[in-house]
Amino acid sequence: MKKRLGVPLYNIGAVLVGLVISASLLLFLKLNPVEVIALSVKKIASDGYTLGEILVKATPLIFTSLAFAFTYKANLFNIGAQGQFYAGAIAAIALSLWLGDRVPQGVLLLIVLVASFASGAVVGGLIGFAKSKFRANEFLVSMMSTYVVSALMDFLLRTSLQETKAEYLQTDAIAKSAYLPTILPGTRVHLGFVLAVVTAILIWVLLYKTPLGFRIRAVGYNHNAAELGGIRSGKIYVAAFFIAGGLAGMAGFTEVNGVQHMLLQNFNTSIGSFGIGIAILANGNPIGCIFASILFGFLNVMGTTMGRLPGLNIPASIIDLIEGVVMICVIMSYFVRKAAENRSEKQRLKKAGGK
Amino acid sequence: MSAPVKSALSDIGATSCAPEVSVVEISHVSKYFAKVVANKDVSLTVHAGEVVALLGENGAGKSTIMKILYGLYGKDEGTIKICGEERQIKSPADAMRLGIAMIQQHFSLVPTHTATENIILGNVHGYIPLNECNNRIRALAEKYGFDIPVDKKVGELAVGVQQKIEILKALYIDARILIMDEPTAVLTPQESEVLMQFIHDFTNQGNSVVFITHKLKEVMEVADRIVVMRNGVVVDTVRRAETNEQQLARLMIGQEIVPPERDQTLDYENATAVLELNNISLALKGTSACVESVSFTVHEGEIFGIAGVSGNGQDELCDILCGARQPTCGEIRFLGRDITNESIRARIESGIGYVPVDRYRDAMVMDMTLAENMLLKSSFSTHWQNRGFIRQKALNRYTTEKIAEHRVKATGPSDTARSLSGGNQQKIVLAREVDLGKKLLIFNQPTRGLDMGAVDRIHKVILEEKERKKAVLLISTELTELFELCDRIAVMYRGRLMGVFHNGEKTTAEIGLLMAGVSEKQEVKA
Repeated sequence: MKKRLGVPLYNIGAVLVGLVISASLLLFLKLNPVEVIALSVKKIASDGYTLGEILVKATPLIFTSLAFAFTYKANLFNIGAQGQFYAGAIAAIALSLWLGDRVPQGVLLLIVLVASFASGAVVGGLIGFAKSKFRANEFLVSMMSTYVVSALMDFLLRTSLQETKAEYLQTDAIAKSAYLPTILPGTRVHLGFVLAVVTAILIWVLLYKTPLGFRIRAVGYNHNAAELGGIRSGKIYVAAFFIAGGLAGMAGFTEVNGVQHMLLQNFNTSIGSFGIGIAILANGNPIGCIFASILFGFLNVMGTTMGRLPGLNIPASIIDLIEGVVMICVIMSYFVRKAAENRSEKQRLKKAGGK
Repeated sequence: MSAPVKSALSDIGATSCAPEVSVVEISHVSKYFAKVVANKDVSLTVHAGEVVALLGENGAGKSTIMKILYGLYGKDEGTIKICGEERQIKSPADAMRLGIAMIQQHFSLVPTHTATENIILGNVHGYIPLNECNNRIRALAEKYGFDIPVDKKVGELAVGVQQKIEILKALYIDARILIMDEPTAVLTPQESEVLMQFIHDFTNQGNSVVFITHKLKEVMEVADRIVVMRNGVVVDTVRRAETNEQQLARLMIGQEIVPPERDQTLDYENATAVLELNNISLALKGTSACVESVSFTVHEGEIFGIAGVSGNGQDELCDILCGARQPTCGEIRFLGRDITNESIRARIESGIGYVPVDRYRDAMVMDMTLAENMLLKSSFSTHWQNRGFIRQKALNRYTTEKIAEHRVKATGPSDTARSLSGGNQQKIVLAREVDLGKKLLIFNQPTRGLDMGAVDRIHKVILEEKERKKAVLLISTELTELFELCDRIAVMYRGRLMGVFHNGEKTTAEIGLLMAGVSEKQEVKA
């Protein structure tokens, strides 16, 4: 009971420590970090649009962190969420451009959703297949696959998907009917956020309430015992990567149809890597991924707000700095907590043994 | 004796010990692990020229206290005196400097290095005069009558020889106190005798041995003094001359063990054959066959035992039987049906239960709950599913029943497997396999490393299943276990069966010789 309560406490502590460290960099700019943070938090809180941005930024992170967390349960490392996200984005933009204004909005969105899932899933599934068939190292294969898909995206952006003006490496904007509707008036928060939360819950159910999820976890914890239990780990590898790829692909859908409404070069380049960190922060728990993603959405928005504070000239790299330092602190807190738990347990035994 | 390869390991202060002072004096030492008290207020002494046996069940804290003495673990309370002087032993290097060496249950040898290289490992710097080292080690081995091929790779040598190399490692650094953790577990009876002889020779020269074991017979054979431990504390210290096996057993377990009763009248030979093996062989690439032309039949209601020192092909045979590995040739029949090419899952579903030797690796998922572990082998079965979801409540109820039925010490189905002791984990595996194995149960060393209470329970279950007309294949290294339970016993040596005997046809000594690969025609070497 006590342990359960301790985890969020440690995480909050770690986030605060991370904030203090990263904010202290502001001292180099001869600024008072406390004032700057207070100012930006006030600014965020006073503005509904900026508050909404937190959820907008969190949406793709929920998907990419799920993409890492899901394979992580099978003790696999999916480093390629970025590539799977691009694969989903390509499917989303291609179908949205083609079907926009031709198909009713609901049907279109459903088709694009399924297609972007399938597109990411195929990329993921191939990684899983390489792992199960040839014992290829999934870490390396998934990491490299990102570069391949990213190059494919650039190729398409220069050829069949390029805008009609043929000037920049980007597509035309999609038709209004292919937009994911906003759900909070006055913000950019779109239906994709709800989709992300529901997906995270479904993934939790899949992992903990169904036989497939059970098998994935069993293989992840102990593939030897799972094999002797009749579970073919090779199949599980493919299934886990297929689903994980699909999850990352869905981020492509929400980003293209919900935020950008087009596809362009160097599109959201860091959501894959942040997904990994967020999944670790959430300890691989799908529900935890929602909250961890919102936290990083907040940090991102706070960094942006700081950079825009008038007259202070805070560089934009403060965004990545804050997020990076906080992430390191959170990961460290995991080990600090383990050590503290061991120590207190020992203390307790010593007392009990002394009687 | 002083050659350039000899490092400054042996401390002069440690080796010269006044005769009236005890060599080792452990007083009031306690050790707490994260979740358990491993040792509480342990005090014991070792004198020069003495063999002290540390006797206790698995998990009694014997190894822990010795690992503290050897510097592998730090102590939380208490003091350790070596030759009357208090010492802080922070690492094995500290211990070795004080003349203490420990031979772990699992040897710490580098298999791709030669015997010599292993022995001098850690005690050489710069250029290694290998020939000189070889000669020195040969001389050292001869002194104790060991026959060691010093320039052979350790991986190619038999376990008994590997153990001698471990001993030589200790002798090489002039150890005066030798700690041995269950040294006979991996040896044949004959190899054990050689070891016992060495212990006598070694202690006659004024050295001391601490012998960790849970085998009463060995204790009576070798020890001068016996320290009995239970649940992390010293229960009693007795002189060998003043005690007997019954008293020691009582001290060790604290309760009388009733051996399970056997129904001798069962006419198993006329019962239907459940498992038939025809010329099963397995040859891995680049090695000699590890299972060779094995044929036998297990009948309904029969317990068929396979004796043998571990590593003689038993584990590979089990892999073949459960479907994890395909035999190179041969045929397996289950109730008359050829199952040689069937998958693991198909075999589970047709009613074969299997308790593998290494439950940590093969039988349990330690980070999952007990309920999930009960589900491990039936995750495809519709019995535990309802519209695609796991029937968690039914599963929990079932697990709770099994916990009660097998007297597993656990608080409930949502305990993690890791939180249980070894014996209780094994009971969970047993409960699952007994239910799955409707027709056939395969046990590979089901009682290895367990305390007597758990062993007793497992033996009872095996006999109960026999009563239910199941066929049982019991692979074990413990002859007493096989003699107690089996109807027939086969002996496995280097992948081959050395013969199948009715229980009682052969004495323990005869089976022991077969286990060492000595068939009756060959002359028995002393």
